[in-house]
This record gives sequence, structure tokens and C-alpha cells, in this order.
Amino acid sequence: MHNTEAKERVSSELHYELSQHYYQEATLLQNGEFNTWIETFVAKDLHYWMPVTERRYSKDKRPEPTPYDMAIYNDDYDEVKDRVARLLTGAVWMEDPRSTVRYLITNIEAFHTDKDDEFVVRSNFVVYRHRGQLEHSEHVGCRQDLIRKVGNGFQLARRKVSLDARVTEDKNLYIFF
Amino acid sequence: MKPVNKLIQQDGAIQDRAIFWDEDIYQKEMEEIFARCWLFLTHESIIPDEGDYQSTMMGEDSVVVARQKDGSIKAFVNSCTHRGNAVCFSDGGNAKSFTCPYHGWVFGMDGNLVDVPLEKQAYHNEIDKDALHLKKIRVESYKGFVFGTFDDEAPSLKDYLGGMAWYMDSFMDVPGGCELIGPPMKSILDCNWKNPTENFIGDGYHVGWAHASALEIAGGPLAIAKGNAVYDAETSGLQVTVPEGHGFGVIWEGAAALHGGPVFEAYQKWLDDRSPLIREKMGEHREKFYRGHWDAAIFPNCSFLYGTNTFKMWQPRGPHSIEVLTWTLVEKEMPDQLKQMIHTDNMLTFGTAGILESDDGENMEQCTQTNRGYSTRQGTLYLGMGKGHEYLDPELPGLVSKGWVNEAPQRGMYRRWAEFMEGKPWSELSTTAQLEQKKVGG
Repeated sequence: MHNTEAKERVSSELHYELSQHYYQEATLLQNGEFNTWIETFVAKDLHYWMPVTERRYSKDKRPEPTPYDMAIYNDDYDEVKDRVARLLTGAVWMEDPRSTVRYLITNIEAFHTDKDDEFVVRSNFVVYRHRGQLEHSEHVGCRQDLIRKVGNGFQLARRKVSLDARVTEDKNLYIFF
Repeated sequence: MKPVNKLIQQDGAIQDRAIFWDEDIYQKEMEEIFARCWLFLTHESIIPDEGDYQSTMMGEDSVVVARQKDGSIKAFVNSCTHRGNAVCFSDGGNAKSFTCPYHGWVFGMDGNLVDVPLEKQAYHNEIDKDALHLKKIRVESYKGFVFGTFDDEAPSLKDYLGGMAWYMDSFMDVPGGCELIGPPMKSILDCNWKNPTENFIGDGYHVGWAHASALEIAGGPLAIAKGNAVYDAETSGLQVTVPEGHGFGVIWEGAAALHGGPVFEAYQKWLDDRSPLIREKMGEHREKFYRGHWDAAIFPNCSFLYGTNTFKMWQPRGPHSIEVLTWTLVEKEMPDQLKQMIHTDNMLTFGTAGILESDDGENMEQCTQTNRGYSTRQGTLYLGMGKGHEYLDPELPGLVSKGWVNEAPQRGMYRRWAEFMEGKPWSELSTTAQLEQKKVGG
């Protein structure tokens, strides 16, 4: 499903709607409203994937990672829901006091697919996380999503998160990208 | 540096906080531990064919480990003998040679210098290429797990593993053996390398508290450990430390216990089906270990959880930082679907975004970083839980303690650390064989 073909670009009106959806999503995640996010912004057939990509020489012809290979996230809906539920147990010591996470979402490009209600959307992100007194990290990369029109809004059905860094300069990546 | 008998006291139970902070102690560790011990490199399953290689680290030394034409495995330091540039920049792959990007010297997969540009015109054919090979590393495998050492005096890898090898055979020596799934996840943790090693080697204590949130979510049989509500010191498991510094804790019948739902069922069925074979090949004890869940460490910086099947290396990056590498451990003969389920669960629980591993990062970092304070650092730390309750079991190697919550393996690790830091030659380091004699002698 991750290779759903992107067709022509969407209209400026639809592009605006999709951009607003992405900003709303970032706001929910920044505010810690993870339940609202998983229940309203995420489709039940979700595949949420962040593959591990090795540094390889250009002559290396091995295929790109698939969902059978090593990944930092390789979750279905229930697994993401479990991750959300953990954050809400009240027993995640490192999130009390809470850390702050800020999403800068840019370069949104949206395309039609074969299906009228599904769109391929690409975006770049910078995610900043601050914790405690001085701790901070930043994560840069891009996302390729399959977004579905549902009612008046959109839901995320596929997300492939590609990180630019080979080695994560952070103690964990327990952040929804 | 303070004398070693001040850094580690009371047979490993008391540690000076300086061991997590001081640069001179760290440099001594590089010399006495990381330049001497057998260090994990890779698994044979990751480099099966001629020319397959992986880049990795031994201490802070960048190295390449490669499969040779004759099927053997060799390793060499990843630094050109001309001006010191690295010769390999990829994580791994398949190659016939490595060419240094600076002046184009070419090294074979065995590390030998095979070609230099302008050899005739500029070197007048006077360069002694045979003397200019990349620095070579001694390599040995144990059941497919490949280790390297810089020390020609080191004993064989099997002797280095000592009593731990007997225990690890319970899963490494199953029919077909084990393999690792890569490429590893890699992340940075701002802690001393010993913090996660001591956590994996014997810290059953933190599980119920540190991982309370994850245990509530994971839902497998181990969830009962949440909040330390249920723990039977007599019957729940064992902790083991061997004189070579390795050790582990085991929760009986727990191998599949952190896996939930269908993964638990599929894995448990595999374990049940496989157990009679283990018993037949290695006896009842090993069958019991095969069915248990282990938290374990191979001294100095390799750790794993057997059952949950995460496999880790803690690469030191100075006294206050490490790079964490994470693979998945599976039995080679498992059906692909079961391997995939275990692999997915490992990524979910103990990967870079793992629901359990994420609980630990903060603990590891702060256990190091609080020692930034001069006055804090003057204190000591305590690993006395269960001290004096270890015993020699005539049927098991090493020193054994009842229950999976005590600190005997950590004490064993620090006893070994002290032996190395005192600069003892290999002939004076403690061995499992000496303990075995004690058992015979009563």
C-alpha cells in the first residue's frame, strides 16, 4: 500500500484543506491529545511505519526496506493505540513533568490516486523536543501518507516516516511523527 | 585515578561514583577492558557470502568485519595506513576491496594493501605493501556469534565466555542455531556504558516499577510483575554470575511472556514443541533455561533478552555517552511467520521507540549525569541486594542466587571490572574452572 501511485496534484482548495488537517494534527499531538488523534484522525486499517535505512554505497543494488525489515515503527492501528494508552497510564515517569514537542510541517504536496477519496500526501517535518531543564533534540525527515476523506475531515491510513539521521541522537523516538 | 580497591569495594557491592564519570577511568577502561576483551562484532548469518561485510565498533575503534573467500571471517581496523582516513563508509554490503577516498590506496577484504596509485612512477616500486596492511583483529565465533579482540594473549572465545557458554547453549545450540535480524537500530544515550550493562545483566528489581506503564499495556503473562505486586523469591527464577563477568537472570517459564495475544500463543507452542529436543540434547536444566526469560550481558558491553529476543550492544562514546545498537534474535529453524512476529514485537518493545525501552533511557542517563556534581560524585553506590545468599550448585556453572530479583550478577560484573582495571594478566583472572574445582573440593 505504501507504493500507491501519486497521480496529478490536487486543486489549491483541496491542498488548503489537507494543509489545515496537517496543522490540526500537529496541534493535537503538541497538546498531548493523543486519544482524539487516534480516534478521529487515524483510520482503523492504519500502517504506521518508520523503516531503518542503512548507509549504503550507491553501487549497492539491494532493495529498499520493506515492512518485513527492521523498523523503528511498524505498527497497525491497535499497536499505535497501545502506545497511546501507555502514555495515558500515569506511570510513564519520564513524561512527568511532561516534555514539550513542537512540529514544523512544510513542503506539503498532495496528489490524487486511483480512488476519489484517497490522496497521497508528502510533507517535510522538523520535530523539536525539550525535556527537563536543558535537554533537547530535533528530528528531521519526510512523511509519505495515504490520507482518506472521511465525512468532513480526513483520516490517516498509511504513513511512512523517513528520518534523515542514521543514528538517532535522542534517548528514544517515542514521538508520533 | 583512585586505586581500584577504592573504586570497587565489598566484593562488588559498593562502587565509587567516579566509575560513571571520570575521564581517566574511562581511558583506563579503553586500555584494560576494550583493548583486551572479546567484543561482539556481528552474527555469521548477517555476512553469509564471500565479500559480505559489516562496519562496527570495538570500543571507540571503527572496524570492518568481512567474509573471506575461504569462508572464514576476518576483521580489521577501518583506518588507512597512509594518512589514517577511514576506508569504509557504509553500514555494510558486499565488496571485493575498499579504496581509501583520500589518495586511492586499495585494501582487500582481508585488510591487505593490494594496490597504490602511481606505485611505479611515484613510489619507484619501493613501497613495502605487505607491511602496510590495515591493523588486523583476532576473530572467533561462538555458535555463529562473531567476536573480535585486539589482545593476542586473550584466551579462546569459548574460554572467555566461560560458564556463560554452557547456559547460552540452551538457545544458541538448538538444532539449526540462532540468527540475528538487522540492520540494527542505532541511537545515542547520554549515559556511561556500564549503566545499561548492569541493568541487563541482573536488574530484575526495576522491572515492576520502571516498566509499570508498559506492563499494563503489554498484557502478556509478565504483566503481573507490574508494581511488584507478585514476586516469589524462592520459585520465580534464578540469577547467575560467572567469574568471567557475564551473567543473567531468568524467569522460569517466561520466554514468551512479554509477547501478547497471538504472538504469545505461537511462540509458546514453538517452545513446547521444541523442548523435548532440548532436553534430549542438553538435559533437563537447559530445557528449563530454554523455556525461561533471560535478561543477560556478555562482559563488557553486549546484552540481550532471551525470550523477548532483543539483542543489544552498548558502544562507548566517552564516559557519558553510548551508541545503542539493537538487533532481533531468533532461532534459525523457526517458521518465517514466527520470526516476523517476534521481530515486530522486539521493535515494538525494545527498539528505539520501544514501549519498554523508552522507560529506561531516562534512568540510564540520570544515573550517569547526576555525577556531574562534584559533591554528588564523592559518594558511593550500593548493589548489596541478596549479598551472601549466592551459592555453588553442583549442577550449574558459576554462582547462583534464588529469585530473579537480586544484584548478584551486577556484583559479579564489577568484580570482573576490578580485575581488569588492576591490569592483571589473563593467567591471574578468575575463571569458571576454578569455581568448578571448589565444587568438587566441597
